[in-house]
Amino acid sequence: MNWGFVWEHAPELARGLGRTLEVAAIGIAGAWAVGVLLGAARAHRVPIVSQAAAVYVEVIRNTPILVQIFFLFYGLPQLGIVLSPFTAAWLSVLVWGGAFSTENFRAGFEAVPLRYREAGYALGFGRVRTFLSVTLPIGGRIALPSTINTSVSVLKNTSLLTAIGFAELTNVARSISAVTFRDTEMLVVVALAYLALVWTLSGAIRLVEARLRIPA
Amino acid sequence: MPDWVGPVARYVLETGLPETLRLAVTAVAASTLVGIALGTLLTLRLVRVPVRLYVEVWRGLPILVTVFLVYFALPSLGLRFGAFTAAAIGLTLWGSAQVAEETRGAVQSIPREQHDAASALGFSWVGRHRRVILPQAFRRLLPPLVSLQANVIQNTTIAAVIGVAETLEAGNRQTERLLFSSSSSHSLEIFGGVMALFFVISFPLTRLAAHLERRLV
Repeated sequence: MNWGFVWEHAPELARGLGRTLEVAAIGIAGAWAVGVLLGAARAHRVPIVSQAAAVYVEVIRNTPILVQIFFLFYGLPQLGIVLSPFTAAWLSVLVWGGAFSTENFRAGFEAVPLRYREAGYALGFGRVRTFLSVTLPIGGRIALPSTINTSVSVLKNTSLLTAIGFAELTNVARSISAVTFRDTEMLVVVALAYLALVWTLSGAIRLVEARLRIPA
Repeated sequence: MPDWVGPVARYVLETGLPETLRLAVTAVAASTLVGIALGTLLTLRLVRVPVRLYVEVWRGLPILVTVFLVYFALPSLGLRFGAFTAAAIGLTLWGSAQVAEETRGAVQSIPREQHDAASALGFSWVGRHRRVILPQAFRRLLPPLVSLQANVIQNTTIAAVIGVAETLEAGNRQTERLLFSSSSSHSLEIFGGVMALFFVISFPLTRLAAHLERRLV
């Protein structure tokens, strides 16, 4: 074991970590936006959008994300849609996270009692205003823990982007190992980095959950 | 149907799919057994800390990193595995940690009285859990277990990254062969087909999980 050599490669690893965080941040932000929009469409049974969202959710939930990544990166160019590794990277984790977040938000919005919405209408709110002022703040909080769990999974799934040669953390570690033959040290360092990220995020979840709990 | 489809379908279905099923059955069986055992131990104060650490580490790591650790890092400790075994171990570490967490919840949902009654009848800790608590907890455990195992099956594709010739890798090899021998790799159709194959396996399982959840919980 030679840990000093890990230090020599710290700048490359830091760049890899940066790309991991960048792609995860875009993917997570996008997944939340998709989740709120399509989750609302599902919960309020908006015609056509709701059915299309249901198909999207089932296809993504029931197929492996690694195959989705291959399909986007290697399959789409056949239709003339050529994605750069970076675009394929954030798009694939966003599409995956969006499907799971849609389910989370749908369940959250559907858990808001109907009479709350009726109270909104009684106050003269329109459908959109009722959603923004009543359903979203209450249902959104109900959906929060599961959606943050999905976000943690999005972060972990960015490691699969190594398979299309996107130079995120796992990929950088493998590349360094390939020329130095120091697999063990590299992988242990990378594993610790992922655990630090995931555990920090999970810890933050518990704090946020406690703060945002709906008063009984 | 175009000429290229026959050989590709044959290779993916006759070489890739059986390998996927072999890996899935191994990982599903092992992660269920190990997970239920560890999840039950999570309710025992004596061993809670080491088991909790196992669960948090393997749930926290990306599965690919776990598979890489088993395949590329363990050899430095003298543990050398083939790609298939390394993938099966990696998937089991992750899957068993997930099952353990679900099992803990299910076991803790069984009322205290059931433990007391079993103890009063002279059952030891092991006998009490095996004969009284787990059979009741299993009802609650079954729906999440089914959907978790659908995830394990999907995640067998990660073995492709270390070269196991499962369904995705089989499809991938065919796209490379076609790219060299003809003008197109047909990646769109082949990876689309692989997605369809997994959908056919996974969709009934997630439906079943949703059905069980309505019926059993």
